[in-house]
Amino acid sequence: MPEPTRPDTPLDAQGAAVDEAVITRTDPGRARSLSSDAWHDLRRNPVFVISALLILFLLVIAVWPSSIATRDPLYCQLSRSLEGPAPGHWFGFDTQGCDVYTRVVYGARASIAVGVCATLGVAVLGTVVGGLAGFFGGFWDALLSRTTDVFFAVPLVLGAIVFLSMIKLSGIWPVVLVIAALGWPQIARIARGAVITAKQNDYVQAARALGASNSRILLRHILPNAIAPVIVMATIMLGTIIALEATLSFLGVGLRPPTVSWGVDISAASDGMQFRNAPHILLYPAAALSLCVLAFIMMGDAVRDALDPKLR
Amino acid sequence: MTDDRLLEVRDLEVEFTTRDGVVRALNGVSYGVDAGETLAVLGESGSGKSVTAQAIMGILDMPPGRITGGEIIFQGRDLLRLSGEERRRIRGPKMAMIFQDALSSLNPVLSVGYQLGEMFRVHRGASRKEATARAVELMERVRIPAAKDRVNDYPHEFSGGMRQRIMIAMALALEPDLIIADEPTTALDVTVQAQVMDLLADLQREYRMGLILITHDLGVVADTADRIAVMYAGRIVENAPVKELYAAPAHPYTKGLLDSIPRLDQKGGQLYAIRGLPPNLLHVPGGCPFHPRCPRVRDRCRTDLPPLYAVSEQAADGAADATGERAEAVSADPAQDEIARVPELGARSSACHYWKETVDDARRT
Amino acid sequence: MTPGAREPILEVRDLVKHFPLTQGIVFRRQVGAVRAVDGISFALYPGETLGIVGESGCGKSTVAKLLMNLERPTAGSVFYKGEDISALSGRALKAVRRNIQMVFQDPYTSLNPRMTVGDIIGEPFDIHPDVAPKGDRRRRVRELLDVVGLNPEYINRYPHQFSGGQRQRIGIARGLALNPEIIVADEPVSALDVSVQAQVINLMEKLQDEFGLAYMVIAHDLSIVRHISDRVGVMYLGKIVEIGSDTAIYDHPTHPYTQALLSAVPVPDPQAREGRERIILTGDVPSPANPPSGCRFRTRCWKAQERCERQEPPLALPPVLADRTGEVLHDSACHFAEEKPRVAHG
Repeated sequence: MPEPTRPDTPLDAQGAAVDEAVITRTDPGRARSLSSDAWHDLRRNPVFVISALLILFLLVIAVWPSSIATRDPLYCQLSRSLEGPAPGHWFGFDTQGCDVYTRVVYGARASIAVGVCATLGVAVLGTVVGGLAGFFGGFWDALLSRTTDVFFAVPLVLGAIVFLSMIKLSGIWPVVLVIAALGWPQIARIARGAVITAKQNDYVQAARALGASNSRILLRHILPNAIAPVIVMATIMLGTIIALEATLSFLGVGLRPPTVSWGVDISAASDGMQFRNAPHILLYPAAALSLCVLAFIMMGDAVRDALDPKLR
Repeated sequence: MTDDRLLEVRDLEVEFTTRDGVVRALNGVSYGVDAGETLAVLGESGSGKSVTAQAIMGILDMPPGRITGGEIIFQGRDLLRLSGEERRRIRGPKMAMIFQDALSSLNPVLSVGYQLGEMFRVHRGASRKEATARAVELMERVRIPAAKDRVNDYPHEFSGGMRQRIMIAMALALEPDLIIADEPTTALDVTVQAQVMDLLADLQREYRMGLILITHDLGVVADTADRIAVMYAGRIVENAPVKELYAAPAHPYTKGLLDSIPRLDQKGGQLYAIRGLPPNLLHVPGGCPFHPRCPRVRDRCRTDLPPLYAVSEQAADGAADATGERAEAVSADPAQDEIARVPELGARSSACHYWKETVDDARRT
Repeated sequence: MTPGAREPILEVRDLVKHFPLTQGIVFRRQVGAVRAVDGISFALYPGETLGIVGESGCGKSTVAKLLMNLERPTAGSVFYKGEDISALSGRALKAVRRNIQMVFQDPYTSLNPRMTVGDIIGEPFDIHPDVAPKGDRRRRVRELLDVVGLNPEYINRYPHQFSGGQRQRIGIARGLALNPEIIVADEPVSALDVSVQAQVINLMEKLQDEFGLAYMVIAHDLSIVRHISDRVGVMYLGKIVEIGSDTAIYDHPTHPYTQALLSAVPVPDPQAREGRERIILTGDVPSPANPPSGCRFRTRCWKAQERCERQEPPLALPPVLADRTGEVLHDSACHFAEEKPRVAHG
């Protein structure tokens, strides 16, 4: 079918129609998927680079805290209680005489583990509920959306306090489960909206006209096009969930000693008298927490800028 | 001609900064409109026809857009040198614009009467009651039935055609000297399209306004325009009175467009198709931007950007029997080129090195 | 060109689609219906092109969706080779779908932006694995790209890397993948640039000759419909008001709506603009939720009389054409059907 191009042929009206197919083959450049475009944007966004480096660093110390903190976070010398920074102990000692630096480093693990696990739970639950409601519509939409509304009406912090104070189990899993169980409605709403938008595209009709099954349409066509706002929301939520864990630990219903976490340390340091005498025991874990939350929220913003095609 | 000249755009250049680089949307666009005249600006998407209009109206998004050169002379003043406040005072009383999508151009939470009356309140300091009365008057003038009862209705309560009439009424409110209509009927059905174009033509005659009609539809142009400026890749490629252009286009692109439309009165066979695709403005081909798609491309077209040559009957007649070789020889002569160059806006012109052959070919068939 | 005694490949009988209008959030009750398609019948013969023209809201896109089984009809049936397919589901429906494919209007939303061109054109083979063996699919996709005039090397590119015209070619390639007999095209070129429209129309005609496809082309552009159609149906408010060969509709229209529609088309010839007689209709198309009684066109018709309000004109051969022969013979739904000489192109 392809014909050789004859660019120098002087005017022939029919000839143009013959060559047409060949000339249409102008090079659209190398293959660039939407996600590779987004990645290209992200790499050039300083906000993303900074937050990503910060998060990478936090993840590394969460997994291998011993790489930068050689001491045992539970090894405490009461004799050095509330002592200020000293050589080898740059952040000073807390009430129990434990090394604040070591505890801040080890605290990352619990905080980030709760954040990541709870966010995964929230994202999966929210996407499934919202996605099904948006895709099937009608009765299922009404049922699932009203259920979402009921959960949405429960204030997250209050609900978590009530449930956690009833459960009275230690470790991170009760906290993760309660946050996941209460936090998903926000994601569900976003997922539902995104699925409804994606569903109206002609390519969904095209797939249906080909005889594609519902599961194929959902997984191949709708989900990949609806997931971006969920990813953005989840990244931002990750930051707030870490803050929520700290809040719950501070209130005494989240993580409890001997688990090492920023919330636990902030709670222990929040006695007014101690703060006046030894502000470092509150400042360092609080700064670590703020930095971590900020990093995730910044990352969420940068990802939104890259994924939102409307801003292009 | 010069006394009547209402608007003159000279060598307008506009750039857009995008994430893929700088897009040169306009590369020296020049055209003029006289009072009472309809100039159709014809082009495909990306040709720069709407960008020119936005630059004239002063509603170009800057950034990412940037006017890098040229002048827009409106009633003797260069608009590009005026302050924002001075330009704002020109929009409305002196020039107005009609958009393609009437629904998104009207505010959905304000009644149509309020939006029509707003012009009188802002520019003329009219009272509320007075403004409403003028709004009803305007709606009657654009032939909206039962205007009095509908003046307090909201935009969504009107049909597409009626909304476009309201847009026209709004543009007309202060009886401007120039109206720019950007694809005013593209979103409308054929039968409604005819109504709206008729209305626009009547009103233009009545007020002796200059009208710039931006469109991609050669049929609409033939029905209403006096003169046509054809745009391609941010340049004017042909400028001609409508009848002359349709009778014998002087640019291969115009000819291709005319040949490629299926006609109601002709049927069957393969349609003539311009090969290839409109250029990507990030990588406009060198030389004549149309050369990769042109059926009469020569080596010169790949290297030399053609200026706008004056197209005159005499010149065309003289070359009537010229072969391709001869035309090449003639154009290669720099003195001849100088003669061919056009300083005069409004005269018939074509940005093709081989316009003579194009015109002659068109005449012959 | 005329269908003659051949069996229609697709036949539509008294097709009706009403979209219910509901009120209330929890307890929905129906307060009315948009009568998008209100009893239409036509047939499509193998290898021919049937054009359906009409203004927005006349129900022409709903007809396409009904033919594709993307919507269920409220009443009436669609027959494919004599078998009623409008009630099919599951495996049987999937089998029929192989033979009827669609080309969409908007090349920007009809291709999944997250899939490569190869995956998009190859998807029909994933859904109908028996059409092409697994190892052969890549080759078939490359072949299809070549057939529609795109470089087969671009198999791994994404849709947003192509222009509108190229995307429409990708959409056409996807429609061809299963070797269908019928292609339903809903406004296939209206979203494209003028200079690209002709390319796509030529491509569609070439493919029709090559693969013996039957086209059902739905469009609002009368010139394009005339160019590609063998027969044309004119729709107004959910009904076909006139149907016949292209010569019959364009050169011998008898329904006032067809005549007005044809006369309103801007003719790309400035010489014609003084001379030609134009019928400019007043008003807009009435709402399909509340169509006029009797003849639906009567509210905008200059011939309307009391009878038009009372009695709906049937779509039948009008008496004025009774003594004519050949292509001119065609059905028209008007009580006062008559030819209006040289209305279309003065």
